[in-house]
Formats: sequence, C-alpha cells, structure tokens
Amino acid sequence: MPKANVNSNHSAIWHKTVVYGIVSVMLLPILATLVYSLSSSWGATILPDGFTLDWYGQLLSDPRFLAAFGRSLLICSASLALSAILVIPAIFVVFYYFPKLDKLMNLLILLPFAVPPVVSSVGLLQLYADSAWPIVGTPWILIGTYFTIALPFMYRAIANSFSAIHLNDLMDAAHLLGASTFQAFWLIVLPNLKKGLLASLFLSFSFLLGEFVFANLLVGTRYETLQIYLYNMRQTSGHFTSALVMTYFLFVFLLTWLASRFSAKPAAISE
Amino acid sequence: MSYVNVTQLTKRFGDNTVFNDIHFTVEQGEFVTLLGPSGCGKSTLLRSLAGLNPVDGGEIWVNGENITHHSPQQRGIGMVFQSYALFPNMTTAENIAFGLKMKGMGQQEIQTQVQQVIELVALKGKEKHYPHQLSGGQRQRVALARALVVKPRILLLDEPLSALDAKIRKHLRQQIRDIQTELNLTTIFVTHDQEEAMILSDRIFLMNQGKIVQQGSPEQIYTQPANEFVAQFMGNTNLVSASAAKQLFNLDTPHKVAIRPESIYVKEAGRHYEPHISSPQLGVIKQHQLLGNVIRYQVEVHDCELSVDLLNRSSERLLANGSQLELLFNLNEIQPVSA
Amino acid sequence: MTSSVINTQPRLRQQTKVKWLKLLKPGLCLLPFAVFFYLFQLAPMLWVVVNSFLVEQSWSLDHYHEIFNSSFIQQGFRNSLWLATWSSVIGLAIAVLLVSSLRRINSKIRDGVIAFTNMSSNFAGVPLAFAFIIILGVNGALTLLLKQYGLIDSFNLYGQWGLLAMYVYFQIPLAVLLLYPAFDALKDDWQDAAALLGASSWQYWRRIALPVLSPALLGTLIILIANAIGAYASVYALTSGNYNVVTVRIASLVSGDLFLEPNLAAAISMVLMLILAFITLINQWLIARSYHAKS
Repeated sequence: MPKANVNSNHSAIWHKTVVYGIVSVMLLPILATLVYSLSSSWGATILPDGFTLDWYGQLLSDPRFLAAFGRSLLICSASLALSAILVIPAIFVVFYYFPKLDKLMNLLILLPFAVPPVVSSVGLLQLYADSAWPIVGTPWILIGTYFTIALPFMYRAIANSFSAIHLNDLMDAAHLLGASTFQAFWLIVLPNLKKGLLASLFLSFSFLLGEFVFANLLVGTRYETLQIYLYNMRQTSGHFTSALVMTYFLFVFLLTWLASRFSAKPAAISE
Repeated sequence: MSYVNVTQLTKRFGDNTVFNDIHFTVEQGEFVTLLGPSGCGKSTLLRSLAGLNPVDGGEIWVNGENITHHSPQQRGIGMVFQSYALFPNMTTAENIAFGLKMKGMGQQEIQTQVQQVIELVALKGKEKHYPHQLSGGQRQRVALARALVVKPRILLLDEPLSALDAKIRKHLRQQIRDIQTELNLTTIFVTHDQEEAMILSDRIFLMNQGKIVQQGSPEQIYTQPANEFVAQFMGNTNLVSASAAKQLFNLDTPHKVAIRPESIYVKEAGRHYEPHISSPQLGVIKQHQLLGNVIRYQVEVHDCELSVDLLNRSSERLLANGSQLELLFNLNEIQPVSA
Repeated sequence: MTSSVINTQPRLRQQTKVKWLKLLKPGLCLLPFAVFFYLFQLAPMLWVVVNSFLVEQSWSLDHYHEIFNSSFIQQGFRNSLWLATWSSVIGLAIAVLLVSSLRRINSKIRDGVIAFTNMSSNFAGVPLAFAFIIILGVNGALTLLLKQYGLIDSFNLYGQWGLLAMYVYFQIPLAVLLLYPAFDALKDDWQDAAALLGASSWQYWRRIALPVLSPALLGTLIILIANAIGAYASVYALTSGNYNVVTVRIASLVSGDLFLEPNLAAAISMVLMLILAFITLINQWLIARSYHAKS
C-alpha cells in the first residue's frame, strides 16, 4: 500500500491531477452521448437547446429495437450456456487427469485473441456458407463463434478457481469418504467454481453484447442483433442513436457491476 | 496375523523407484509413525495404503482381507491431509457429514453422529462456520472429525501438524493421541519431525530413500541406531571414525561409532566413577552454545571434535572457550554403526 | 526373488493397459470441447492458410504477388500499422501515467477508477464511433468549442487523426487493465531506498521502475498493437468502410456486394498474421534481453 512519501504534498496533487485529468477525458464521450440522448436538439452550438426523455420513449416503443435486443440476449445466453457446458468439464479433466495439457490449453485459448475476428470470418464464411451445414446467416454460427470469443475469459477465470483449491486433495478426501468421481465433481468442485464462473459469465455477456464484427460479416441483417440494429440506425437522428447507445451502456454497466460483485473475494473472518 | 500386513510393496514413477520392497505390520489400536526426511517416499507410501496411488507390486492386508486393488471408496480408511482438504463450500457440520451422506445414512442418524464427533474434537459452536472462518488448528480438528466419523478401520495422518505454529502443534498432537487411545484406533502417522514421532508413537518406521531402514520403539531407535543415517536423523549425535574410537574408547571395530552428546561427561575431582565410564581424555573447548537448560560445548579431543551437552546449572560454571577439561565417556551408550 | 520379478512383468503391462483405459473416459469429456474449438477456431484458420495459396484449385503464389503489386492493399497495411503503432504507444504512455498515479491515491478512488476502466473497455466499436461523431464530428460540441477559441480551423474526424484519437481512446482501458497488476511488482520500499541513496524521482523511474516493468510493458504493447491492427467495428462504423485499413480490405473482399475474392482475402489475412507474428518475435527477443532473463 502506498506510503506517505518524502515530498508527499507536492506529489499527491500531481497524482490526483493525473488521475482526474485522464478519467475526465475518458468520461467525455460517454457524458456527451448521455447529454445528447437527453437533449431535444443540439445543432451547431456548444450546448444543447433543451432537455427531453422523448428519445428514450421512442426507442423503447420501437418493436424493431426490442426484437434486436431480445435476439442479442438470446444469442449471448445460448453462447455462454454452450461455453459453460463445454469448458467446465474440459478444464476439470485437464486439471485432474492431464495437468500437462494446461500449457497447451493456455496456448490454444490465445488463438481467439491472436487471430482477428475479420480473419476468422474469411474462413467461416467459406466453410459454412454453401456447405452441407449452411449456418451462415443464421444465429447458429454466431453461437459457435461466440463460444471461441468467450473461451479465453472463461478458461482463465475457471482455471484460476481451480488453482485456488487443492483439487487433488479435495478429490482424494472425497474418494476416501466414499464419493465417486462424478459425485465429488458435482458436490465439491462445481460449487467452488460458482463465483469465478458467474463473474466470467457476466463479463463475457457484456462484451458479447458489444460484438459487431462476426455479427455483421457472418449474419448481417438476416438476424438483426443489437449492434447491427445500432449500425443500421446510423442515418436516423443522432439523439435517437445516443439514447440507444446509452441504453446499451447501462446494460453493460449492470453486467460489469454484477461481475465485480461476484469476483470480489470473501472477507476471511478468522477467530 | 497382525491387523495390518504390508508385504513387498513397491511403487515406481517411470524409472524412478519411490519405495521398494516395503514390509511391515501394525497391530490393532497401535499408533505407528512413518518417519523420514522429505522425499523419502513416506507420503507416497501412505497414499498407496489409502488407495490413492496404485502400487506396482506387493500386497496390503487389513483384518485378513486383501485390499491391494480396492478403490479408495471400498477401503474403509480415513485420512487427514496436510492441506486439511476441507471442502470450502461446506460448513464444519456439512464437511463432517459428507462421508455419512455418501454411505446413504438417514438425516437423523447423521446429525447425532456429527454432534458426537464435534464434541469429541471440541468444536462445539463452530458447526455453521465455513473453513475460511476457522483458524488453522480448528480446521485440522474438522479434518480429523471428518475422518473419524465414518469409523474407519485405519486412520492415516499425513503431516497433519506441519502447517501449524509450535504452541498449537503441541496441544493438538496430544489431543490426537488421546482420541486415538480412547477409540483404540489403528493409526499410521507420517512426519519428518523426529521429536513428534518419539513423543506420539508406539513404534517408528524410519524411512530413507524408499526403504524402511529401521523399525522399533522410539527408545530402541534412539539408543540403538542401526546405521549412520538413523543415528544422525534421530537427534544430535557424535559420529567418530574407527581409528578415533580406538583412541577415545579403546574400542576395536571396523565401523564408525556413535555417541550422544548427553553421554559424555566432564570429570569432577574426587568423584568415584563406575567401571562403564571410560578413562578421562584431555580436551579443549572450541565453542559453546547456550540452548537454555543445556549448554552445548564443541570440544576437541585427539583431533576429533565432539559435541558435549551439560546441564546449565549456574552461570558461574560456564566454561570459557579455550579452557581445558577432562572428558569421560559412558561406554554403555556408545554404538558402532554401519554406513 | 527371481520368480516374483518374472511374475510382476505381465501384471505391470496389464496395469498400464488398465491405466490407459481409465483415462479414456475423462478423455472423452474433452471431445465436445475439442470439436467445437476445431469447427469455429482451427478450421477457419486452416482454411485461410490453405486457400491463400490456391488459385482455381491449384497451388500458386499469385495472391501474394497481387498484394505486392497493389498499392491500394499496401496503403491499407500502411494505414493499419500507422494507427496501430501510434495508438499503442500513446495509449500505453497514458496508461503508465495513470496506473503509476493510481497506486499513490486513496484506495476508494482507485477502486472506482478501476471499475470505471473495466466498464469503459466495453465502450468500443459502433457505440464508440457514434459517441465520437457527437463530440468531434463536423458539428460536434468539442469541435465547435475548439473552433470558437481559434485552436483549430476544422477537424476531420473521418481521417487519420480522428481515427487515431478514437483508437487511443479504446486502447487506454485495455492498457490500464493489463498494466495494473504488473505494477504490483514495484515495491514501495524501492523508491524510499533509492531516495535515501540520492536518486531523484526521475532517476528512480529511469533506473529501477522501468527496467523492472519492461517485460510487462512490452507484453502490453504487443497486445495493444494486435488489438489495433485487428480493429474493424469502430473504423467501419465511423467511416462506413471508406477509410482504407487492412481489416476493411479483407472484409470487403468476402462480404461486399461485388468482386468477392475470398482467396485474396485469405492471403491478406496471412500477411497480417505474419506481421503480428514478426512483432511478437521481436517482442520476445526484447523480453529475453531484459533483466529477468539474466538473473
């Protein structure tokens, strides 16, 4: 923890200036969007003319918006459910039976980071456009690709939960007390992953909701998700799109807040 | 036939032999200790007894039943782990109840049994606490209770005290011994601490490099070490070469000779010594350390440096470095040891 | 003794077979994961690698020749690299400044700032582009404000400087989140010790803090560069695909309305990946030369 430094008064002012300065600049686009979404009109002036909630009213009564939002929620939930079902057993098997594979897995989960989505799209479009499994243009291909985007985050979070427990000792203890491997996994391992898992799920949800590249290139308007809808609305009123952006951002805020609540460490109460 | 019979037990990891040709027996209700330096194979041996590591050869019999190839679930063996291995998502009571639940016991019966064992390990009031809310000593007692409640045929303890601080360790080891005696529980204890082993055990199996090098009561192992390793592992000892043994004790032996620092005395004028005390040898004090109730002198005699422990009776009798003294050796306590 | 040795041999073999069978079942649990990972990550990559060398079903380097002969594609690479390099360097510098000051500030404010950074890292892509249009567009509030004070004549958000500003904006949160834990390596005692030995604050940073942090800084830089080179949503949304960066080039070759050339897109993707690999290699070499490797 930071100690009071030699010339503390002088440097404290400097550090505060730096932090507040950078944070204000970072806040600027968000606040501007907020103000824009609340202003009745804001033309060629520095400050808006008046305030209104009309844009939000318009947005929330637009069935196209509600449908797009619903589609996004559906796809994100489905992708995360798929990821959880695929990743949790895989990590358990890696950690418990093949610990040497962890290194390989750590390399593999870098791929979704290292290969830009645009590049993956090139291959995905050709592989699944006219094949025996024509899923381009359907939500199915998004669910599959979103699994790869969520994978690094989910793997790291769950792997961290695994390293935090003495997995082998816990399994041994459960076995000696008469539990089968499946019982031990279900009753002991899974409950201990809950926090890390939930945190990573909310976090993944928040950035899957903002995913545009795959949605635009692989599916586009054929299954309009929130981001596609947002992009397609670019020609309409800027106030309307601002209200849209802020609604989206509010949702992301909620998700990241939930994620941080679950990732907070429990306070140890030793007696 | 003894309660536990282990014959020819062997374990390898690849080309690396962890332990080889292990034989021992344990009687019902006996408290035995597998003692040895880290890496000697004692923990792996314990895990093999529990069925957590498969063995490559040999057999394990318990109460006339060959359990060598039984799964851990079938063995009826309880174990307390060095890391406690408490299930972090369960309270004290839930942790203890786990094994009974796995047996399919009824809720009512589980509760009474859990309550009994909680009282036995003095954890009343901590039933609803999670492991992270307990102190190290409390966690260890939960682990012990969890292993005891299923009434195991054998209790295995893998360095259960090593993560605790000295005061709690002393208290807890006595508690473990008391409970073990009360339940007449056959117990195998693993430790690298020779003091702990001597205080607790009925018998000690001293291991080194995958073999049991000596087994016997604590007294036997301390006073009659089978070889150099045992002599040095069990407390402090002076190992003198065969030629020095001839000079010091007038003893003809091809082996080195061990003598404990407390079996060497300083000659006091006018006192009569019994025949098993050697003739005096002149020595010079090189160094001394104050260990509390004992002072340990490093004394040079005939080019041979010996540790000599004397009771710290009063500060006036402290001998300065460089002073000369006459040493006597208790010949009954000298022990030729093979390499 | 000999007989027992002979006896254990077949037994051992049997045991290894049993062991192998025992691992089969858990191995099967890995299968669904592996299948999905292959279908949606590895297979598309392999397609790109193979098809970048295919022209009309036969092996050829024609697509690569085309890249080297097309000034348009090369301009895309130049623009991408320019944006990536500068946005990463500037973003990293700002993040270092922020993180080093964050560690010397009230812990409540610090946690708040970190939470905000976490959140603003999601303020990217299309929403970010819209926000930038609102403040820095032709009639944006900030543009007007700066014009009024005579600081600028006009600001073209849709050109390289506007894009750079936006890139820097989305690089900062990522850089902060990556660097923040790395600064744990700096012990507060070091600065005190350095001060007692007569080092100024600047000398402490120059001689101690930066060398200790250099692997983390280099590692963060590489992730930022990769992030910027791969960026598509924000630049596409801001310029409607009219600014020539390499991701826009690739996308237009596979999803435009005319002139679809997926194999050329694959070749451009390969060059892009090679550039990233090359940068990573230089980075690894620099990290290997840093003090961590010498200890």
